[in-house]
Amino acid sequence: MNSFFLSIALICCGGFATLFIWRNFVLMKATAVSVISIGCAIGLFDALVKLLHQGSHAASFEYLKLFSLSFQVDGLSAFFLVAIYAVSLLAAVYSFHYLNKPEKALRSAVNYLFFSLLIVSMALVVTAANMIAFMLSWEIMSLSSFFLVIYDYESAENRKAGYLYFIFSHVGAMFILVSFGILYGYSGSFLFSSGSTIPDSAKLLVLILSFIGFGSKAGVFPFHVWLPHAHPAAPSHISAVMSGVMIKTGIYGIVRLYASLSLHTPLFGEIVLIAGMISGILGVVYALGQHDLKRLLAYHSVENIGIILIGIGIGMIGVSSGNPIMAVLGFSGGLLHVLNHSIFKSLLFMGAGVVIQKTGTRTIDMLGGLLKNMKVTGVTFLVGSLAISGLPPFNGFVSEFFIYLGGFRGVALDKTAFVLSIMAIVSLAIIGGLALACFTKVVGVVFQGEPRSSSAVAVDEKGPAMLAPMLILAAVCIIIGVFPRMFITLALKAVPVSGLGYGRIPMEPFMQMTANITLAATVFFIVLLILIALRLVLYRGKTIGKAGTWGCGFTQPTVKMQYTGTSYAASILEFFRPAAPLQEDHPRIRGRFPQKTHYHSHIDDIAELHMVRVVVNPVLWLFDRLRWIQHGDIHLYIGYILLAIVVLIFFV
Amino acid sequence: MIKSILFWVLAILVAPFFSAVILKVKAFFGGKKGPPLLINYYTLVKLFKKGSVYSTSTTFIFKLGPVVSLGAAVTVLLFLPFGGHPPVFSFSGDLLFILYLLGLGRFFTIAAAMDTASPFEGMGAAREAYFPIICEATMFMLLILFYILTGELRLAAYFSGGQPFGLWQAAGSPMLFVVIAFFVILLAENSRVPVDDPATHLELTMIHEVMVLDHSGPDLGFIELGSFCKLFFYSSIVARLIMPFESGYLALNICLFVTSLLVVYMAVGVMESVVARYRMDRVPKFLLTSFALAFFATVITLEFLR
Repeated sequence: MNSFFLSIALICCGGFATLFIWRNFVLMKATAVSVISIGCAIGLFDALVKLLHQGSHAASFEYLKLFSLSFQVDGLSAFFLVAIYAVSLLAAVYSFHYLNKPEKALRSAVNYLFFSLLIVSMALVVTAANMIAFMLSWEIMSLSSFFLVIYDYESAENRKAGYLYFIFSHVGAMFILVSFGILYGYSGSFLFSSGSTIPDSAKLLVLILSFIGFGSKAGVFPFHVWLPHAHPAAPSHISAVMSGVMIKTGIYGIVRLYASLSLHTPLFGEIVLIAGMISGILGVVYALGQHDLKRLLAYHSVENIGIILIGIGIGMIGVSSGNPIMAVLGFSGGLLHVLNHSIFKSLLFMGAGVVIQKTGTRTIDMLGGLLKNMKVTGVTFLVGSLAISGLPPFNGFVSEFFIYLGGFRGVALDKTAFVLSIMAIVSLAIIGGLALACFTKVVGVVFQGEPRSSSAVAVDEKGPAMLAPMLILAAVCIIIGVFPRMFITLALKAVPVSGLGYGRIPMEPFMQMTANITLAATVFFIVLLILIALRLVLYRGKTIGKAGTWGCGFTQPTVKMQYTGTSYAASILEFFRPAAPLQEDHPRIRGRFPQKTHYHSHIDDIAELHMVRVVVNPVLWLFDRLRWIQHGDIHLYIGYILLAIVVLIFFV
Repeated sequence: MIKSILFWVLAILVAPFFSAVILKVKAFFGGKKGPPLLINYYTLVKLFKKGSVYSTSTTFIFKLGPVVSLGAAVTVLLFLPFGGHPPVFSFSGDLLFILYLLGLGRFFTIAAAMDTASPFEGMGAAREAYFPIICEATMFMLLILFYILTGELRLAAYFSGGQPFGLWQAAGSPMLFVVIAFFVILLAENSRVPVDDPATHLELTMIHEVMVLDHSGPDLGFIELGSFCKLFFYSSIVARLIMPFESGYLALNICLFVTSLLVVYMAVGVMESVVARYRMDRVPKFLLTSFALAFFATVITLEFLR
């Protein structure tokens, strides 16, 4: 555990050091970035070693002489640590050129401080072995990310986003706290590992309550409402970390509690699977309807959390129906998707960050043709888009392949498991198709075609510290996609902890699957190379002309005539209208000399709509009625405290 | 193995021929003589001999698009059992790879279309992104049915080694639904009438053809060859489904296979001649019908098996 704590100490040092040297902007950035990166690198190496050489490592401390804070690194923790440290490392490097406003030096320093706290708290969350340590790290994580979200606090929109995030993360934390309270009430111990002794009905309650709590952090529909607000508000390297790994701590929490409670009833697996399917499909539908690049990516996090939950749900159903292969396929696919999503989503957020920094706009329909001047950003973003659409030979395909295989095993089961497996497979197929539509829209409208506004015309992509992490992430996307063997091994090492009780998992069948993927990808690459060679031969000595795009006979095309992202997605959204109502603002064109008109459209998130109606308004109404309690008389306030103490002494 | 590779090469070589059959059938219905059966080869040779003109709006993706879409189609044929003969490659889950690889080809076709900044191509691209979503759902529904029947997830397990006959024996009449559902997917995925009209002259009403408006020369040749291969892939599946028998002799098998292939291509031609293209907003309903058929086929078969 020493190297683990060393990495944490280093990262903290990097964060706090900025407060003393913020007057020298470049020195501050260089110090923070290098120290945090070294800390992350040590942690990453340590986590990889621990993951490959199984066995758990533990350490515990006394806190306030009352509680003990104990930490433990097992396969599952180590797997999440790998993702956390890898993405944080690259995000730290990226931030060196991304935070480029010397006039905001102090704010950048504070940003680094909270960034380091966020990394540390995430690492502590996934290693916490008891509830106290977990809740403590969880709160630090929520608070530090809250301060990161309101980095640009001048804008009212960002403050609102931060507020929304604050409420969601704390209501979620309350649910987790309640479930921990029930767990403690039955078992009398703060350790997670003692959870398996409590009665089954309590276990189910604990799991469902904590699922709501963890789901609100992970962005499971309908608790995802904060995500599309908070991600656009935060700086891009923070979005990369938050969307790439922070929301995965929610997944970690679900799997960890499931593992330690070892409740093998099918019901919880079914709940997880259904939640996954709804999040997956609706997440990508809402993503299609977005006009803001970062909001779109945020909704894709909801979608990918859905895919991960589908994988885990299939795994849980496999466990409860005694089908070990299905269980292992589901869990390993889900966990690998955690890693994959952290890679391509941070890549996409970083790419979006470069676009936003250089063009100054997040509106997709204002951009266009960026690929010509932003070669590295464009190509890496393309790779990320292919990966997130789950296409071979990129990494998203590998994890979806495993989840599919798990789902097909479920088809052989009976009744509910059978129906749910069919639904899972079909929804994965629909999610894949919709994601492809959504990312052809992003790539096509943002990076291709002609610039749609002046802000997208003269752009460059200076800043090697931003480009290098993107190149690395894009390379990893392809490496995992072609040679998944090593990475599936990592996921399989993390699976046995998930309360399966199978002991050692035989590696051979899974290695065979990865070998098949490698074979297929290699064959495809060979075919592609042959075709490229053939193309070169066919074009040798030919005349290559340049001309404008064929306008079907129209000779005066303007860039405004290009298909926009809005129109691209319109017909698909029409299909999903009941789930994604479209609001249009478009004054009719009237008269012989029509006035200037405008068109504005917006896709309503039904979760947001109904949450306001069903939850927020009644709560506000109730609290309005209770206002008389808060009258400002200090004597009565002391009376309240006395009353509370008396009640506690006599009744609890 | 060598035989399988030879069949793969043969499949790529004969794919353009079969597509010409559709043209012949359409010409017959129109009371015309129609182009010669080798027209597609002449077109390909003509295109390969030419140079290209590129739009100033385009980037390297525009040039990569045809290569990837052809590459995907050709790779997919490697997994196709040619007339019941074992394919070059086959592994558990290869169907997932095939479907997603075709998705990769589609991604690049769409990206190449968006690269031109042309509103027409954007329109086609939006439709190309939309309709296959429903087709994919149908495909996976059929895959589930086949998995229930055979317990395997390989294309070769369904269409070689006397298998489609086994599927018919196990499932019985619901297989008719499967054939129709597959035929609908064939029409949609290969941009045929009533989903898309490859012969129309109005860019606004096209899907696939409008997306390749700006391609020329060998690039266009690649796209054409790719779509011939893709059509051949889907047609062979339908052909094997309607003619599931196999004899002990290779030559006879190939004859049966070619005959059934001709039937499928002629059916496509007849369809194009007697049915009008649907309005764009009707297409999803048409495709959902195929999903419903696949779904009911699965449900009914399950009842049979129980």
